[in-house]
Amino acid sequence: MDVSQYLDIFIEESSEHIQSLSDNIMVLENEPENKDTINEIFRVAHSLKGMAGTMGFKRMQHLTHDMENLFSEVRNDNIKVNSELIDILFNCLDAIEAYVDTVKSTSDEGTEDNEVLIKKLNDFLEGSEGGDVSDGAGEESTSADADNPSEDGDSAGSEDPNGKDHFKVMKVDENTLSKLNDSVESGLILYGMTVHVQKECLLKAARAFLVFKALEDYGEIIAYEPSSQDIEDEKFDLAFSCILASSSTDVDGMRAAVSAVSEIEAVDLDKVTPDMYEKTAAAPAAAEDKEEVAAPAAAPAAAPVAKASEKAAPAPAKKTANKPVTARTVRVDIEKLDALMNQVSELIIAKNSLVSISSSESNGGGAGYDNQSWQEQIEYLERITTNLHESVMKVRMVPIENTVNKFPRMIRDLSRKLGKPMDLIMTGEETELDRTVVDQIGDPLQHLLRNSADHGIESPEERKAAGKPEEGTIFLNAFQEGNNVIIQVGDDGAGINTEKVKQKAIERGIVSPEEAESLTQKEIIEFLFMPSFSMAKEITDISGRGVGLDVVKSNIEALGGDVEVKSTLGQGSTFTVRLPLTLAIIQALMVEIRDEKYAIALGSIMNIEDISVNDIKYVEAKEVIHIRGLVIPIIRLDQLLDSAPRDEEPDNLTVVIVKKGDSYAGLVVDNLIGQQEIVIKSLGKVIDNNKLISGATILGDGEVALILDVNTLI
Amino acid sequence: MANEIDMTEEEKIQYIVVKIGSEQYGIDISYVDNIVRMQKITRVPKAPSYYPGIINLRGEVVPVMSAHLKMGLGDDVETNKSRIIILKLEQQGLVGMVVDEVKEVITLGESEIDRSAQNSKNRDSTYINGIGKNGDDLISIFEINAIVDEVAVS
Repeated sequence: MDVSQYLDIFIEESSEHIQSLSDNIMVLENEPENKDTINEIFRVAHSLKGMAGTMGFKRMQHLTHDMENLFSEVRNDNIKVNSELIDILFNCLDAIEAYVDTVKSTSDEGTEDNEVLIKKLNDFLEGSEGGDVSDGAGEESTSADADNPSEDGDSAGSEDPNGKDHFKVMKVDENTLSKLNDSVESGLILYGMTVHVQKECLLKAARAFLVFKALEDYGEIIAYEPSSQDIEDEKFDLAFSCILASSSTDVDGMRAAVSAVSEIEAVDLDKVTPDMYEKTAAAPAAAEDKEEVAAPAAAPAAAPVAKASEKAAPAPAKKTANKPVTARTVRVDIEKLDALMNQVSELIIAKNSLVSISSSESNGGGAGYDNQSWQEQIEYLERITTNLHESVMKVRMVPIENTVNKFPRMIRDLSRKLGKPMDLIMTGEETELDRTVVDQIGDPLQHLLRNSADHGIESPEERKAAGKPEEGTIFLNAFQEGNNVIIQVGDDGAGINTEKVKQKAIERGIVSPEEAESLTQKEIIEFLFMPSFSMAKEITDISGRGVGLDVVKSNIEALGGDVEVKSTLGQGSTFTVRLPLTLAIIQALMVEIRDEKYAIALGSIMNIEDISVNDIKYVEAKEVIHIRGLVIPIIRLDQLLDSAPRDEEPDNLTVVIVKKGDSYAGLVVDNLIGQQEIVIKSLGKVIDNNKLISGATILGDGEVALILDVNTLI
Repeated sequence: MANEIDMTEEEKIQYIVVKIGSEQYGIDISYVDNIVRMQKITRVPKAPSYYPGIINLRGEVVPVMSAHLKMGLGDDVETNKSRIIILKLEQQGLVGMVVDEVKEVITLGESEIDRSAQNSKNRDSTYINGIGKNGDDLISIFEINAIVDEVAVS
């Protein structure tokens, strides 16, 4: 079976499963008795096993299978969760992740068997059951058997003919069994069937629905496998089974009705009796019996898989050099695509209207042609393109969740490694950012978190002495603010000791002792962002090599963002990362300064004020205005931008009030032109040394206008 | 610098001859992406002094430098012969250069270029890598990467 086309889905889904596994194991560590979590882990391990099996990744399948076994024991309360188990689980998780990574880069699972890990799992399984090994083994085979039917169902979807009569071995619980019996007693005939959908089929759930709908004409469907909910959610591979209670004897008609549904490959249909399922309902007793049925099904399926992996084995070296085999993808909410589709259709309507207006004009409208409807259509078009842009941007937006989800685990590991108890509290994981930004924000954030864990949080003894709870708290808060997304990373640790930083800076000859005296706290903290400036007393493998905050800063700046630090000695530090929501197109206010046009991002503008020159006051020899309780510094853009001086100062100034975080500034402009959607273009490398101007844009008349970077002004 | 262009005697290179001030300069045609008429240049505050600004080249924003300012010849005098040569450089991408006039395209072999005539005291020397002889005319050959990179003559 050629599975390469499913590789993307496999990678995507297994990454999700791994994440869920990681989350759940973390929960389990704190609440070892949590049944829901145990069930969830079991389920995830099972799904991973199934996926790995389908894809022919035997080693991964083996590992997940053993994990699943172990958890089936945990589920049955035969094994208690302890820290040893958690550690093993995390090891397994890492191993699975490694498999998936290898698959990602080579489309093969690699050759790592993880035997040690598997042995650990099994040792744990046996060890916990104490002397009663035989019982444990029995249980194990039971759970393995219980899984077989579903595996069988998986392989039935492939070209494996032996799997076709899966309905004969499907699992039926007692409730359903009694229903089956009732149906027979009331004179109905039971038909079991396994329906195979074509492997190209995209809407499997829809096909299943149509099949069931067709069958309902004949009678009542009593049992499903997988469950009807799972079928509805498309949680099945390429086949599903069901039992129909019907008064009809028209087997061919039934078969035809099901086959008539498109994209159905084959239907296996036969009469069944309730006693066929009695065995399954009383599973352990029938274990051996069932194994015989399942075994031939599994074996042929496994054979080609084994061959495939053998084939792949000789050339792994060549393969690893390859680039990742999968493209970067974005999973898009169907609603977003619908919105996009609607707007495109509106665009077409608008285009057609314009065409009809222009043709009616040429047909003899002449000079009297309808200027108003023309104008209306232009406005309509404008609205559509704006919406269209927004939708496309939204399609590119993904929640930062995928990136930040790995952090709790990282903090947990760090906490153990450093011997400092600490907890990570995250909020706003659902905040969305452009996919390219999300991809690149992981490393800087990780670095900041490590920094907090290593340097920020003190040892438990120090914390106790300082009257703080022994467990340190690290937080990561994400939220949207105007056209920016803010991510704050911080801790309740010791804070930055500016005196020490100052000493270090003097030691390294960055500033002279005299200069150092006059530095503000902010300027001192800036030193931390200088290349190879490390404050760590000793180098650990977590941080302290001095390749750090400068890289964080440059990475974030490369994304068009910036990073700020606030720190209070003894109370902790907070790093605030500000990132632009969108990269290419923004809404901007166009302003005029002398005869030059500038764009100011609308997102950072708070309001616009008309003030009299007399209202300007002076604080520390700087111009400020006092509006609604805020004292706002005035920035004369014309001076800042070296514009030609004005002949005479006007009495009234137009001031654009912009904000960044909690700070404000009033920008004095000559004229307001209006709001406009602008496409951001780079200035080119040769004059890029200009922080004031973040880019340029081309206006409707072909003229170039510069975009002011408000963040550097405040 | 003379060795930077490595070629045999048979190899000939085409140069665009431009007039800047009263002198003629040659630009290796392989660096030239385009030649456009003078258009409105948008000033960029705080840019290097010899960059008057940026232009819109068919929807792309391209920085433009002034050869006049770069070589200390004073402000550009815009006439209807003024042109912007769009240079395509590996590192900097597209960069425009304002010149007074585009005269012709000539072909010079290495034998027609005098690499030794550079006077190190000459303020242009850092971005001139030879003097080409085209009949009676002498043409200074630009070292393109240097003229874009180097700091302007004060």
